[in-house]
Amino acid sequence: MELLDRYLDAVQFFLPKKQKRDIIVELSEDLRSQIEEKEAELGRKLNEFELEAILKRCGSPWEVASRYLPHRYLIGPTLFPAYRFFLGILLLGCVVPRFLVWIGFLIFDPADREYLNMGNMLATIVSAAFFTTLAFAIIEWTGIKLKLGDYWSPRKLPPVRDPRRIPRGTSLAEIGAAAIFIVWFVQALWPREIMNVFGTRITLAPAWNYFFSAFLLLMACNLVLSSVNFFRPYWTQRRAGLRLVLDVANAATFCWLLKAQILSAISVPGVSEPKAIELTNMINLWMARSLPWAVVGLVAILLFGIYRIVRLRMTRLRCSPVEPLVNGVANLMVR
Amino acid sequence: MSPSPDNHERFENLRLELRRGCLSLAVLSQLKTERYGYTLRKALNEQGMEIDEGTLYPLLRRLESHGLLTSEWREEEKRNKRFYRLSADGRLILKQLAAEWQSINRSLNGIL
Repeated sequence: MELLDRYLDAVQFFLPKKQKRDIIVELSEDLRSQIEEKEAELGRKLNEFELEAILKRCGSPWEVASRYLPHRYLIGPTLFPAYRFFLGILLLGCVVPRFLVWIGFLIFDPADREYLNMGNMLATIVSAAFFTTLAFAIIEWTGIKLKLGDYWSPRKLPPVRDPRRIPRGTSLAEIGAAAIFIVWFVQALWPREIMNVFGTRITLAPAWNYFFSAFLLLMACNLVLSSVNFFRPYWTQRRAGLRLVLDVANAATFCWLLKAQILSAISVPGVSEPKAIELTNMINLWMARSLPWAVVGLVAILLFGIYRIVRLRMTRLRCSPVEPLVNGVANLMVR
Repeated sequence: MSPSPDNHERFENLRLELRRGCLSLAVLSQLKTERYGYTLRKALNEQGMEIDEGTLYPLLRRLESHGLLTSEWREEEKRNKRFYRLSADGRLILKQLAAEWQSINRSLNGIL
């Protein structure tokens, strides 16, 4: 029944939020009844091709969902799910990154916030929304048929999304990155205030020792968490909370480092002392000026971590059609 | 001579339009007794009124939102099913629609 679950999941994606669950349970019941009846008639389980035929007859997920939507005059129900999806993506891509950067400038560098004024952003949103709407309205009113239904196949649908699942590949990549970072960090940057890099003598502020210990500790914690995730590849509330704390602590420490005037002096062969002082100040200034961007990153990390926790909580409260199966597997994995 | 693709499409559109109103009447008539979606669809199919799930369930929702049907979720054979039946308004409308249908049918028979 994996094909059926994937089909229902794909239909669900395009449905209006409020009715999602009711519609999917009802549609699932109907399709399961059809499958059972067919199986009883044949006296055996349906194979994948027979199941695919039933789903194809039912219609593409897009078409099925569109029938539940109310009539829109400018853009009809067939195109509306696609229109809403594209518009959402476009607006999100235009607004969110610029807004976060603007907030960063507003907090840490108010003098430079004119680079990203809100008037420009509003104009971008309006043009994006206008041209998307226009394109879809033209398709609707000229009657261009996209014939999407002819090219879909249940087999090509993506697997059922389980927000609790942590891909093992991701955990493995995290473990590798953390291990390499720790080895390099300890070998190259073991707490000392003076370092020689390719003949350049770098003197760091005494605060560097604290940053070194903090980064090392956080990276060790990341390594442990990624290892646990590798062996138990399903998010729990506790582990998602821990991941959020670690990510935010990493980002906050990095932000702090940017503001800490960590470089005390640089001595480069062939460069005069006044020039070297100027270079040191420039690097410290450049680091401090990149703080708003780092804060934007921190906010994004924080929001993503919160979103993951909320999503996990929602998944626990809501019962999707594939939930019993997912629950069973998840319980086995965390035990 | 076979119909051109354009004519075929026009016919399909008109056929769907013609069926749309009839389907509401057929569905209402079958819900004098309580049924859930799949058995309702089977009952209609057995009487020659084929309807697919993609048409039936949105139609049931529309009829319910107009107050012509009532529904409730119940568990049967270990599965959650939504049972529909005519509401008081639905019974009244069905009676009026059936009379209208008879009248149209008589007229059309005469015209055709």
